[in-house]
Amino acid sequence: MSDLDHFSMLPIHMDPQSKAILPSGSRPSRALAAELEKLNALHRAILNIEVPPGAIPLVPPPPIPVNPKRTANVSKLRDSGNTEYRRQKYEEAVKLYTQGIEMALQRPLWEPAALVREEVSMLYANRAQSHMAMGNWPEGAVDAEASVEARRVGNAKGWWRRGRCLTEMGRLEEAREWVKRALEMEGEEADLVSLLKDIEERIDKARA
Amino acid sequence: MLDIDWKGLALPFAYLIVLGGALMTFSTIYRRRKAGTQTNPQPPSLSPSKTPYRHPSPQTLTPNFSHTAESANLAPWFGPHLQRDIYLSLLHLDPEDGAEKAPKVPDGVLRAALLRRAVEDIERLIHIKTAKQACGALLQRGSVGDDLWQRFLRAEKEMEEELRDVVTEANALAPNWGPVIFQSAHEIAANTKLRQRLEEIQAQTEAEKAWWLKKRSQIQAEFMKELDESEKGSTKDGHEDDAVVIDSPSKKGGKK
Repeated sequence: MSDLDHFSMLPIHMDPQSKAILPSGSRPSRALAAELEKLNALHRAILNIEVPPGAIPLVPPPPIPVNPKRTANVSKLRDSGNTEYRRQKYEEAVKLYTQGIEMALQRPLWEPAALVREEVSMLYANRAQSHMAMGNWPEGAVDAEASVEARRVGNAKGWWRRGRCLTEMGRLEEAREWVKRALEMEGEEADLVSLLKDIEERIDKARA
Repeated sequence: MLDIDWKGLALPFAYLIVLGGALMTFSTIYRRRKAGTQTNPQPPSLSPSKTPYRHPSPQTLTPNFSHTAESANLAPWFGPHLQRDIYLSLLHLDPEDGAEKAPKVPDGVLRAALLRRAVEDIERLIHIKTAKQACGALLQRGSVGDDLWQRFLRAEKEMEEELRDVVTEANALAPNWGPVIFQSAHEIAANTKLRQRLEEIQAQTEAEKAWWLKKRSQIQAEFMKELDESEKGSTKDGHEDDAVVIDSPSKKGGKK
């Protein structure tokens, strides 16, 4: 962007049928190809916008208000997942949470990221819990980490679950670091404090 | 006759030449730098996309201009703006072979391209905002040179022009899109980053599972060995391997 009056003409062309933009030439640069891929994906997403009556067609609407349909679907999937969990059908619960996560992540990119964070952090935390109920510690640990990534503060359960999974897998040092970080973020959360105490006891026992 | 001792004068002359040469080199470099920092980018002449672009053939204009710009100025802060180039290239698509007119690019594609450009702008804007404080502090302490700061200020100014340009283009593509496009772009940038991070985390699942399977089999093997030892009192030799390969439970496990 050295000067604003000029630009570099790029070797691209449009497929007349699909309207996809493609790099021309035999050896397109990788950056250009990747960017065009993103562009075409965004174009498809724009074409899929449902146009409410009165709105301008084919323009991404402002982030707010959100189309409530997807939100409703996601929370429905989460609720049925919770029901299965309560019935101790953990496999089913995992399946439903997975569907919910996919649904939430397919939300159009221009809708609020904060909403996606909230939805997926909850779903990942629940899926982690179901995995833990089945003793699948590695999956539980990964899901809990994803949950924390989506929402760092106010997600004590997510922090705790990964700490627990790591402890169960015997990765005590890692678990201790993790829970310490959790305490920094969440303050003196009782569950986390007792987990840390448990981990430290285990470390002492392993040393002895 | 004036008798000049040319040999004796050689030293003073050499001195003068070196002095003059040094001064000239300094002044050319200095002036070039000064020219670089003071040429302000001209106001954008990119007209809204509905009307044809002002320069008839951007290919012929671009190379020499960007070349002089680079040599006359300090290096730009950001690299080439790929998304902007794509958007503008789409406005000036070449006709296909045999066809008279250039293909008409649908509005949807143009909007997507402009939105991608806005997303990149948002990322650059965030970069500038975070870099500004650090850069200013370093300048005050004298840790960075003035030219870095000049480059930075110019990048900031160009960013402003670029944002204004995108808003104008957006308004030309769809009525009242200008005020909204950067909100959308901001969410797209945030969403893309979030999804990328989540994918990275989820991608560990298989490796973690494999690790745990191996570890568990090791624990089991150790337990079996303990049982064996308590019966026979003999030890088997094995080796320890931390890679994520699932091994038969007969191997001796390493403690971790």
